[in-house]
Amino acid sequence: MTTSFRISLRRGTVVTGKWKRRKYRVERLLGEGANGKVYLVHSDQGWVALKVGADAVDLQSEINVLQTLAKQGRRQAPAFLYDVDDLQGSDGRDYPFYIMKYVRGVNLSAYLLQNGKEWFPLVSLNLLNKLAELHSKGWVFCDLKMENVMVADYGHVELVDYGGVTAVGKSIRQFTEIYDRGYWNAGSRAADLKYDLFSFAVLCIQMHDPKRLHQLTLTLLPQNRSTEDLEQLIATNASLKPIAGWLADALAGRFADAAEGAEAWRMLMHRTNRKQAAPTPFWLKGLVAGSAIMLAVSVYWLLRMGM
Amino acid sequence: MKQILLITDGCSNVGLSPIVAAAHAKAEGIAVNVVGVLDHGDAGESGSMEIEEIARAGGGISRMVHTRQLAQTVQMMTRKTVVQTIQLAVQKELKHVLGSGAIEDLPPETRSEVVRVMDELGESSSLQVALLIDASASMKPKLIAVEEAIRDLMLSLQARQGKSEIAVFHFPGGRHGEECKMDLGWTDNLTGAQSIFPKLQMSGTTPTGPALMQVIDFYRQGDYGRRSREETDGMMSDYVV
Repeated sequence: MTTSFRISLRRGTVVTGKWKRRKYRVERLLGEGANGKVYLVHSDQGWVALKVGADAVDLQSEINVLQTLAKQGRRQAPAFLYDVDDLQGSDGRDYPFYIMKYVRGVNLSAYLLQNGKEWFPLVSLNLLNKLAELHSKGWVFCDLKMENVMVADYGHVELVDYGGVTAVGKSIRQFTEIYDRGYWNAGSRAADLKYDLFSFAVLCIQMHDPKRLHQLTLTLLPQNRSTEDLEQLIATNASLKPIAGWLADALAGRFADAAEGAEAWRMLMHRTNRKQAAPTPFWLKGLVAGSAIMLAVSVYWLLRMGM
Repeated sequence: MKQILLITDGCSNVGLSPIVAAAHAKAEGIAVNVVGVLDHGDAGESGSMEIEEIARAGGGISRMVHTRQLAQTVQMMTRKTVVQTIQLAVQKELKHVLGSGAIEDLPPETRSEVVRVMDELGESSSLQVALLIDASASMKPKLIAVEEAIRDLMLSLQARQGKSEIAVFHFPGGRHGEECKMDLGWTDNLTGAQSIFPKLQMSGTTPTGPALMQVIDFYRQGDYGRRSREETDGMMSDYVV
């Protein structure tokens, strides 16, 4: 779905805004979204990210969402948008760009690979809380996938690429097939808060069992794809099985929003943590039984001696 | 807003040039998009040239895709064309007011307002998409993917706030020498498992141009009030290009 797009900014290039004349020095390419490319640039305020788009209308509607978000957020929300302007490409054409906070970190799959799967429950909870923030303001993220989740130290999560963010009730403009509820014949493609939870559930599967998930997309006929196939996969994966109930609720749209999902996730984490501590080791059971027998024997012996 | 989406895998070989036909569509206010489905590069040089030119003449966009990407491409192109159609209308208005038509020439604040209105229009305006499917012999193995793409498009359109309808045609039409045949009249709902193309008789000819003309005529008839499916079919077989 990436638009064909020629502009590329070379390292060291100084970009000057056409309207406000602010200057940015390009460092390197950070990534590519559906609406444009994101670069790390240096400004007089330090390191920031610059997103340049090929299409003025597409990028502007993304900027509009960010502007509305910035207005809605009182203090909690990060400053999304520092500057909006146009730059002149090497081909002489004007390209729209905007400047946002530079999010340090690596994407979700890289983070789990580097730091281990034991971070999964916490990182997921942080991600659900991020989604809940958006949901509380009436927005749906929509294009939730590995590449759009950045994780920094100690599992700190940021969502990147707000190009798909859609107001509740509108039609979804940007999505990725395997994370899409419609693709699995499990609901509409209108933005509602449950849509993100569905994608989140698929994301969990993607984290633990990407091979078999990919296999499903190859073997199933489009009209036969269903959440049952996903649930079967979950039931037969050791890491996913403990959260099968939660995932089933998310896939079926039983959580009203991400906040409710996050609450249930937190409860689940506590329960599984306790469960892991609860089972008494076999040797301890043996020891207790052994000492009980010893006690009985010595009592018996004492009684006999005393008599 | 009116669109025709042509899904084909090669060159037309009978009748009126599809490029002329697409220009007719544009004159009627219908944008023509073309998807070239090529699995083994079977469209060839001339095929892909033709696909590109039909879209250009019809004021739409063209893409060459593999069968696997068909559904997502169709959905994306339809959305993109809606945005383009609105953009053209808005640019005309802007020219009246500001003297310059390009969205890019607007300062950021004004641009933000204009795009907000455009997004709103894109979501709420009514939309009709007539899908015209090439059912020549080489397309046969791809028809399952085509049907999936049509269902997927319906799902995306149903999410819009404005009224959205699709109609489906295939060409060549079959025994009676028709250039194209309607499989499905205007609908906003594709529930049910029955196939859109029940028993297609594949044939060798590819009358892309004449088929396009028939779909344009179908749009014209629709403008004079909806007729029942049988009636429309009857009228269409009388139509001579």
